Amino acid sequence: MIEVKNISKKYGRKKVLNGVSFTANKGEITSLIGINGVGKTTILNAIMALTPVNSGEILINNEKINKASYEKITFIPDAITMLPQMTIAEAMQFMQDFYESWNQERATELLGFFKLKGSDKISSLSKGNTAKVNLLLGLALDVDFLLMDEPFSGIDIFSREQIAEVFTSHLIEDRGVIITTHEINDIEHLIDKVILLDEGTVIKEFNTEEVRENEGKSVIDVMREVYRT
Amino acid sequence: MNVNFNNRDPVYVQVVRHFKEQIATGMLEPGQEIPSRRELANKLKINPNTAQRAYKEMEEAGLIHTERNLPSKITRNEKTLGAVREELIAGAVDSFVAAIRPINVSLDEIVGLIQDKYEMESKEEGGYE
Repeated sequence: MIEVKNISKKYGRKKVLNGVSFTANKGEITSLIGINGVGKTTILNAIMALTPVNSGEILINNEKINKASYEKITFIPDAITMLPQMTIAEAMQFMQDFYESWNQERATELLGFFKLKGSDKISSLSKGNTAKVNLLLGLALDVDFLLMDEPFSGIDIFSREQIAEVFTSHLIEDRGVIITTHEINDIEHLIDKVILLDEGTVIKEFNTEEVRENEGKSVIDVMREVYRT
Repeated sequence: MNVNFNNRDPVYVQVVRHFKEQIATGMLEPGQEIPSRRELANKLKINPNTAQRAYKEMEEAGLIHTERNLPSKITRNEKTLGAVREELIAGAVDSFVAAIRPINVSLDEIVGLIQDKYEMESKEEGGYE
């Protein structure tokens, strides 16, 4: 379980996170939703200890992030970080050399799942395929938690569908996933939990099936209520 | 298998309804093996936890049963299967009546229209053979 406890973060005078708290469980897909600029990416960076917070704490399986827990969690940024002149196979080799938790078998399966060719250069790929390679490189790591920053942003509908299918497949296994997004349509039926953010604060946290069951509302209904008032 | 889910009913409820329809229409037969939870999630593009929840509900309602690690199967219990059929028929009649009643049409006229429609459709179906 990832527990974010009352974290606040300032960039200069600007407060980007203001007492954010939520939990994300293993075996569940948690979605951080908010219009752009509400601090979603900052939260993921804070979980990865890539950016210091001014107050509050983050626990991963009841412990502050340390070398061991760092190995159990991966951050997939919204853009690929590999050099464009590399081929997909070279990028995979790089990951294998760099990370102990690299799972070559799963990586190969993902390559097939996404219908990608290892010999293709990253610079020659479409936006959708670049996003798939980016995801593949993170998903192939044997970790308990995957943090994905805007995996559906700016790509075509069929690539989005294919990426969404990963979440229903055995490739996710029972890992915990945190996704940031400002678009809910593609994943409404896939996510377990929603954290709605606004101006650096959590304004609502709910379980998607419970809100449908108890209130007869869709995720978008709830968002409309929360963001329009 | 393709289901159009609406966004306001719990997905697990919609999955259970889908199975009931399949059972009532004979697409799923008594004793037939059904996909694993993960396979179902993948086919319907839903969260695996939701598929798990739907199976649990169906298990508790006696619609499916699972022996140890074997694949789950549709029940052979005729009473349960009969109840599924009745439930779906009652639901369809309810929504039909709710839709037609405000139009102010006599029962005789409705029955006549239903008869015509049934005959026309069975003719059309026959036409393909």
